Amino acid sequence: MSTIRRTWKINGKTVAVRFPAGRRLLDVLREDLGLIGSKESCGEGECGACTVIVNDEPVVSCILPAGQLADGTEILTVEGIEKKRVGRLIQQAFIEVGAVQCGFCIPGMVVSSYALLCKNPKPSTKAIREGLAGNLCRCTGYTKIIAAVKLAASRIPAAKRT
Amino acid sequence: MTKRTSKPVRLIGKGMPRVDADGKVRGTTRYLNDIDYKGIWHGVVVRSPVPRGILRAIVPGPAFAGDNLVLATAKDIPGENVVHMHDRTMPLLAEIGGEIRYRGEPVAVVAAATPEQAAAAARDVRIEVDELPPLLTLDEAVAIFKSAPGKLDTMKEQTIVKGDLAQGFTAADDVVEAEYWAGHQEQLYLENQGLVVFPQKDGSILSEGSIQCPYFPVHELNDPLKLPPEKIRVRQTPIGGAFGGKEDYPTMLTGYAALPALKSGKPVKITYERNEDILFTPKRHPVWVRFKTGFKKDGTLTAIECDYILDGGAYLTISDVVMYRGILHCALAYRCDNVVIRGKVARTNSFPCGAFRGFGAPQAIWGIESHMDAIAARLGKTPHEYRLQVHARPGDVTPTGQTLSDENGSTACLKLALKRSDFARKLRQASRGKLRKGQKKFVGVGLSFFAHGSAFTGDGEAKFKAKGRVELARLEDGKPGINIRVSSTEMGQGVHTIFTQIAADALSLDAARIRFPMADTGLVPNSGPTVASRTTMVVGNVVYRAALDLKNQIESFAALRFFKGAPAELRGSRLLSKGARPVSFETAAKAMLAEIGSASGFFEFLLPADIRWDQATFKGDSYPGYSWSANVAEIEIDPLTCELEVKRVTAIVDIGRVINPVTATGQVEGGLTQALGYAVMEKIGTGKNGLYDAARLQTYIIPTALDVPEYDVKFVEYPYSFAPPGAKGLGELPMDGLAPAIANAIEAAIGRRLRQIPLTPEAIFAALHPAQGGTP
Repeated sequence: MSTIRRTWKINGKTVAVRFPAGRRLLDVLREDLGLIGSKESCGEGECGACTVIVNDEPVVSCILPAGQLADGTEILTVEGIEKKRVGRLIQQAFIEVGAVQCGFCIPGMVVSSYALLCKNPKPSTKAIREGLAGNLCRCTGYTKIIAAVKLAASRIPAAKRT
Repeated sequence: MTKRTSKPVRLIGKGMPRVDADGKVRGTTRYLNDIDYKGIWHGVVVRSPVPRGILRAIVPGPAFAGDNLVLATAKDIPGENVVHMHDRTMPLLAEIGGEIRYRGEPVAVVAAATPEQAAAAARDVRIEVDELPPLLTLDEAVAIFKSAPGKLDTMKEQTIVKGDLAQGFTAADDVVEAEYWAGHQEQLYLENQGLVVFPQKDGSILSEGSIQCPYFPVHELNDPLKLPPEKIRVRQTPIGGAFGGKEDYPTMLTGYAALPALKSGKPVKITYERNEDILFTPKRHPVWVRFKTGFKKDGTLTAIECDYILDGGAYLTISDVVMYRGILHCALAYRCDNVVIRGKVARTNSFPCGAFRGFGAPQAIWGIESHMDAIAARLGKTPHEYRLQVHARPGDVTPTGQTLSDENGSTACLKLALKRSDFARKLRQASRGKLRKGQKKFVGVGLSFFAHGSAFTGDGEAKFKAKGRVELARLEDGKPGINIRVSSTEMGQGVHTIFTQIAADALSLDAARIRFPMADTGLVPNSGPTVASRTTMVVGNVVYRAALDLKNQIESFAALRFFKGAPAELRGSRLLSKGARPVSFETAAKAMLAEIGSASGFFEFLLPADIRWDQATFKGDSYPGYSWSANVAEIEIDPLTCELEVKRVTAIVDIGRVINPVTATGQVEGGLTQALGYAVMEKIGTGKNGLYDAARLQTYIIPTALDVPEYDVKFVEYPYSFAPPGAKGLGELPMDGLAPAIANAIEAAIGRRLRQIPLTPEAIFAALHPAQGGTP
């Protein structure tokens, strides 16, 4: 299989990667780059535990061939999100309202919440539910996760919403 | 001058943030597959391709010519080929000449240096089986039971008898009889099963992984591995959900990985992908339950007769205890003098079922709570008034003869649920199959009411004597603190947080000085498995008492060392003695560590001496305590598509003393959501080929953020005073009763009763259009 070389911006840093054609973005992140915050659960894009942000859009990295991402692609993982102001607000809110149980879905939830709040800093409950609909959680029943996103949104200063 | 100390902060009853949340929101918590092990091999289980037959040969192909590869079969089992479980019948791997009893039964384990090599080699093993006809489903077993009960192949039976059933039916004015079915349910923890077995130089093994009950493999693999308990060490990695799914199964998985590990001398990791995890790990038992109830015109129940048959799958494993819990919950919540409940574990050629939150009780409660509405309807009473009339309350006697104490908040749960949900009014407005003017959807509301026995059944806790230690130690920051040493595992339910609260309060220390390391059987005494809604009530009490024991020791030491023998009290992280300058805990503990080396408090759980239980007759005190709940479900049904939406759920819960209201509410909301899935969408069964007929998240559907209703969760506290701080069980209760509340709401909405879960739109359509025979 041919080797692909790419230069991406991951969590704000320029990173050169090489991988065999067909390798999943999730494997490049977890195994080649040690970014283990993104999790694998279903391996078919249903559960959202592997969600990362690619060029401002949340994607499931377990079914995305890494070679599809061009040079210059910007990737944000849970490891990068905590360096963002809104990201930290989301993480704090998850802790405060008790939105975390086993924690396995939580990195993906934090990433999807961040993607949502970047686009819609004051989402309705319905918008939050829709924004998180691709992320399965088996512990919490989502109620406290939805409350955490609301709390984080309420703390985003009106002027600085990204 | 001694400053007057203010009251120390109490943590019990407060919503202290979780101690493990930071790593989980940042993605730094390392679950099994996040740990970079050096030099491990990867194991793959080779399975039977048919559900039943005689195993003739295991033939490895050319892939086994290379190096760095090992194949383990039953011949490589060092000892006897049996996993203890509850009846010592299940082999670790199928034997040549022996009977294959289910599709996917392990026959060999391949391990290799890379996962790809192991997978390729596993595909290159030919399994030769002379096939035999299988019995695959509970439907088939129940058909046999109905036509020729003696021919049903049961692995365990148990009957509960109270009073005189025949007299009860003679005294009855009317009888209602009905059957209820419940299907399999998959736990669907987000983190798949996995563990690594490291062979040690002295011939012992260390198993590390996503393991709910670390002491199970220690005591259940001695025969096949020919290792005594002290040579099997097990420790948990952070667990990404379990719900019972990682209770019994990791014992088998440890056995599978141990064989190639011992044969090759290499550490072997087995981790499943989702597809393999769904197809080849245990599920909740399908159950058929039939109730025949006699009652007087005024509603008084005079007789309850119940048959409860669960599909155990091919081997008993732990199904006897699931059946016990099931039959103990079939008629627990209502007053009746004459009761017979017959439980049976049927054998089928399907994957052995196992533990799942609720453990037999949700199926029992599904039946009785549907049935109570049916009786009320026959009597012309409303379901809530009828339950208020006949529900069990303090002073009443359960089917096993246990008198309920004052510590049962049954009435409070029921009344508060009715009030908060405005049940009576909403029931009057239910559609009953007729759309009112302006209505586009059928609306309905349904009630369920139930208890869940906390801790092991009967005198299990009295016999087990859960042990725990709380010890003085130097923490990561170099300063003194406390280690909690119990075998309870953190799986997301929050035990690390609430035990921290309990230990901190008992010792009157800051929570930051408490550390609760991951359970490791090499380091912690056996406080029992993390199951059966027992952890907070039983092990929480052990931690509390052990912490008080250590507190005494610290105070005695400080009295002599700092206060010339005058009594000292540890309070608010300081040692106080009348008239003397307080000494900080840090100073006193450092002195203690320097002079004595260490100190620890210990406790062994006891039950009251007057607890009675007869396992043979199933008479006596079936559980040390009971948690109670009432659920109200409000639903809408689209008359055209039959789509069901659960809009709002009220859950009033008595779990005794609530240690942490935030984590407790989270547990209830999460349990209700699993119950919602069980009730309306999670559908999986044994297919004709012997495999589960849903194998992935595209076909096995669980609730998403769009499916969950609004929850109204409230606690009423009736503490278990025998075991301070007074908690009763919580883990399983929220899973128990939502399905019948929704079925009862469907009945109110469309005027038809559904008797099989899941309550899918297809089933609602079939109920509304019986002539069309079902599938739209």
